[in-house]
Amino acid sequence: MAGRQAKRVLVVGLDCAAPRFLFGPERFDMPNAQRLAANGCWGRLRSCDPPITVPAWACMTSGKDPGVLGCYGFRNRRDYSYEGMATANASAIREKRVWDILSREGRKVVVLGVPQTYPVKPVNGWLVADFLAPDTRADYTYPKTLKGELEKAVGTYLLDVKDFRTDEKDALLDRIFALMHNRFDAAHYLMTGKPWDFFMMVEMGVDRLHHAFWKYCDPGHPKYEPGNPYEHVFREYYQALDARLGELLALAGDETAVMVVSDHGARAMLGGICINQWLIENGWLTLAEAPNGRTRIEDCTIDWPRTRAWASGGYYGRVFLNVEGREPQGVIPAAEYDVCLNELIAAIEAMPGPGGQPLGNRALRPRDLYRETNGVPPDLFVYFGGLGWRSVGAVGFDGIYTFENDTGSDDANHDFDGIFIMDDKTGRMGGELKGLHLMDVAPTILDWFGVAVPADMQGKVIG
Amino acid sequence: MEKGATICLKGAQAEAAAKALAFRLIELGRNAERIDDVMVKRLGGAKRTAFVCELLGRNGVFAVATAPGIRPEGGSLAVELDEHDTPDFAAEKIVDELAERGLLRLNMAQYTPDEEELIRKRLADLGYVE
Repeated sequence: MAGRQAKRVLVVGLDCAAPRFLFGPERFDMPNAQRLAANGCWGRLRSCDPPITVPAWACMTSGKDPGVLGCYGFRNRRDYSYEGMATANASAIREKRVWDILSREGRKVVVLGVPQTYPVKPVNGWLVADFLAPDTRADYTYPKTLKGELEKAVGTYLLDVKDFRTDEKDALLDRIFALMHNRFDAAHYLMTGKPWDFFMMVEMGVDRLHHAFWKYCDPGHPKYEPGNPYEHVFREYYQALDARLGELLALAGDETAVMVVSDHGARAMLGGICINQWLIENGWLTLAEAPNGRTRIEDCTIDWPRTRAWASGGYYGRVFLNVEGREPQGVIPAAEYDVCLNELIAAIEAMPGPGGQPLGNRALRPRDLYRETNGVPPDLFVYFGGLGWRSVGAVGFDGIYTFENDTGSDDANHDFDGIFIMDDKTGRMGGELKGLHLMDVAPTILDWFGVAVPADMQGKVIG
Repeated sequence: MEKGATICLKGAQAEAAAKALAFRLIELGRNAERIDDVMVKRLGGAKRTAFVCELLGRNGVFAVATAPGIRPEGGSLAVELDEHDTPDFAAEKIVDELAERGLLRLNMAQYTPDEEELIRKRLADLGYVE
């Protein structure tokens, strides 16, 4: 560690920022990020499974996998009942995050907009919570007095983009830009107004941009139309982002070690797989009554004694088995659990695409992915077509494939690799790094500060 | 019944940290009493106060003491406060310590049902869940 200890550390998180736009042949002109990469090192940062904001940022900042955290997505089963789902906010994370450890070491920290920080917990410094705060009437800062101070400095603090599902794309684009500027304005205020050793912020606008505008910008998307009015909004956004990044880098100074990271990447979404529809058609799920049109699975009456599995939708699929002695009306004997699960895995992975070609699905057991499986994990995670297809939980579709989205247009899915740029200002590391994992971030930060990395952190120190 | 403990605070901003800790413990659903010099005088001295603290602890109450000389025989935690910690952060560290000792369960702070539904709809709107 000698010779590498940083005086201060700045981490800029860009939710969903995709490697192709920073590192690939089609990369945008982003002089600040690229200078940082040229002076330091860069690479693709493998996300956790599943690659989604919650739990990915918590994995990154704790150095622990979702199984250890007991957090498998935004909404998790509270227990093995059929109804109990709860949103995983900060209270769901019991493991120490990097700022908790640094706080205890007496370092001053600033944490801004990092997912799963609401409800706020005291830190040795200042914390502004994320979009899981219900609204800005809530106590979304630590200390509480920071809220008024911040709002005086930057106006209303924007938790997220409002009215995301809209066809009024011009207005939506304005709101996504506004979110980014609001977050960087807050960062500017905190960076100049508070003493800090560790500063971490997360900007959510990139994710919102990708989901809302992917088909307009990616020639690889089936719905892309050359010459459309939004064709260049990705470039414009990333470049505006880079300019704001440049401001922060200038404020941080030459002796501050810097990381720019994302929690996952993004890719074109080709359509959706109606997973519960498929389970019905293949004899795993039985409804007591036929749905009246498209219906969320939560709003259906399921004939539990005749159901072996059901699933939930989102950017990835989660499948739950109905196990005797575990679920209230479980039917799969515990002794047959593995046989049943293997049968389901084989069927899901053999699922063809709409043209009859293999989709390339992966169905993964949590116990094979994680060191532990705390809380109530799903029985399977499913990635449809390498995340080219989302999981649709609703039923009442004509078939298992859908190219529409009932909740509004969304043409991007998450991808497994995010971005990683690091300049520790030692000049010791350069070029592209391979094999990086988001759990490596927290141990690397602690190492920069000369703080012992807890033995149970699963990531490795980079460099 | 869950057991309490006596937490003796010393050092910078002990009174403010005691107030923050008592508030946080009550927020977490536990009973807490602050034991300062005035309380010790009322109870007739440090020795008797220590005995009262023990009784409180046996009955699930946390006694947060800033008065000197309070040393109950069992279930006490002496904390030397770090001068760089804010009172709230010092309290949070103690809460963590109590949880690690099994004296406190950090219940998940739940949303209200209305908030839960609001967040669920927000997440569905964003495409994260249905």
